[in-house]
Amino acid sequence: MAMPDRPSFARREGTFEREPARRVFAAELRETRIHFREGEDEKSPTYVLLPTGERCNRVFLVGTLTEKKKQGEQNMFYRARVVDPTGTFFIMAGSYQPEAMQQIARIEAPSFVAVTGKPNVYETPDGATLISIRCESVTAVDKDTRDRWVLDCSLATLDRIDRMGATPYGERAQKEYHTDPAVFRKMVFDALSQLRM
Amino acid sequence: MDYSSITERISLKVSAKGHQADTAKIEGKLRRLIEEFGVPPQEAERTVLNELARDLAIPDLGSGSAGAAGEKKLLRELSSGDWATIEAKVVSLSGSYSSAISQTGILADSTGAMRFVVWVKANAPRLSVGSWYRFESVVVDEYKGSPNVKVHSGTTIKEITSETPLIPKTIPIRDLTPGIGSIRGKFIQEWEASHDRMLQSGLVGDESGTVKFVIWKEEGKERLVPGTVYSIYYALVDEYQGRISLNLTTATILPEDGDIPVSGGEGVFSGALVHIAPGSGLIKRCPVEGCNRVLSRQNYCPVHEIQPGFLYDLRIKGWLDNGWETREILVQREATEQLTGMSIHESKELAENNPLGMDEVFLRVRERILGRYLTCRGREIDQRILVSECGFLHFDPGEIPGLLNRAGGSF
Repeated sequence: MAMPDRPSFARREGTFEREPARRVFAAELRETRIHFREGEDEKSPTYVLLPTGERCNRVFLVGTLTEKKKQGEQNMFYRARVVDPTGTFFIMAGSYQPEAMQQIARIEAPSFVAVTGKPNVYETPDGATLISIRCESVTAVDKDTRDRWVLDCSLATLDRIDRMGATPYGERAQKEYHTDPAVFRKMVFDALSQLRM
Repeated sequence: MDYSSITERISLKVSAKGHQADTAKIEGKLRRLIEEFGVPPQEAERTVLNELARDLAIPDLGSGSAGAAGEKKLLRELSSGDWATIEAKVVSLSGSYSSAISQTGILADSTGAMRFVVWVKANAPRLSVGSWYRFESVVVDEYKGSPNVKVHSGTTIKEITSETPLIPKTIPIRDLTPGIGSIRGKFIQEWEASHDRMLQSGLVGDESGTVKFVIWKEEGKERLVPGTVYSIYYALVDEYQGRISLNLTTATILPEDGDIPVSGGEGVFSGALVHIAPGSGLIKRCPVEGCNRVLSRQNYCPVHEIQPGFLYDLRIKGWLDNGWETREILVQREATEQLTGMSIHESKELAENNPLGMDEVFLRVRERILGRYLTCRGREIDQRILVSECGFLHFDPGEIPGLLNRAGGSF
């Protein structure tokens, strides 16, 4: 993971297609362990495989920034926690993401934030997996945007669950994670239940 | 397989040049190429001919394709590898960038058009636009994925008179293939020239689709007028990574009256604004009539250099993302003002009275719209929307029950 992960706009000619930012709840992302590279090239994009069956190179999420911490001396970076109705996202931004890092530094916790970034899977020395999001952008937003995101993310998650049997990534997810759709439907149900009608 | 007919053809060509041909040897070589190496018979014939030409030092023996060398053909019938005689009109000439090339341009007859190149070594007479010529023994090869006529030292060129009026047939933009094409289209969008030598670039469209075009700077070239319908004859059609584009530098372009419907048109896309690109917010444009390029921080226009009398503009460039697909959006001034709640006048004041200058406007725009849900409407071309109207998408509690039902359906 030595490659600095700049937004990929430099490659904008020809057949370049920007990777969509997936909507995924914290509780689903927490279960994500499988990661892979598509293509042979060193610069080919890397993906994580979501348990509901979609490859994911980028995420967009809106939640509450609850804690942030500055780390490192020479190579300073920020880690922060962003909470949604199902759990916690771990986000970070370093000197290769200067704008996102400055934004995290500036925004006071707690606040609603919108985050675009790339998920990365790490293995800890004791064998556990951790997933953290390297931020491309972080903005302070209002509750309306957070609630809109919960609807958006619920819809996207339900769509993925419904298509699981019919897509290659869905089949792969069932094989790798033994995904129980009922668990994720309940997760969506619980998330929606926390919104005011 | 029987090799006698190919062998005979080859030996005839060789003996016609006054050399003795060893038929057994020729047949042996053909057999080896075709049977052992799986070479197609036509290719094997050419290979053997080339080899003999080299061995016997016969200059224009090789390269002829099976039995057709020098046959008179129409442009439409030509394909890569042919040797032929053609009668065609020079419809355009373009500047050549190689010292090995004497002239290059486009030939046309009643059946089609094709690029041609005259090598310096060919010692050919100068061709002029509008004249008809008979080209004896030209070779056709492939250049940038389309056939190309080559005039070499073995070609004889005679000027001829022809009464055939040439009116190229225009085709729908969707049907363009690499080579030469003629269309009737409307100039729908002008883009910033990305190169000093570029005179103009943008999009033309008709009912079937849109295509990018470029005109390079050349003596006497004039810019096209946005919104006008043009008949464009003999444009160079290029393909790059699966996308077709037109080079109109040497095309014949005639403005037309009236208007035509253009495809594509309106697109609507909703999603989260996940990125705002540099160059959003307050920008400065070149004031030179018809230029409108974005100036650098030092008020430098890539074409007209320093322009202290710049004009301000307001725009947003970014990416909308719905989780499955993305669209690049370019929000124009009025829609930007509406979305950010900041008029161009306020933005200008802010930039002029703030230590961060125009960056301050960028930061405020970002703060107000990045990470928000938007619906954008405007002309859509190639995953890119030129946004004329847009607004925020809000939380709607009315959507909750339906989603709850879907989520709760199975327990």
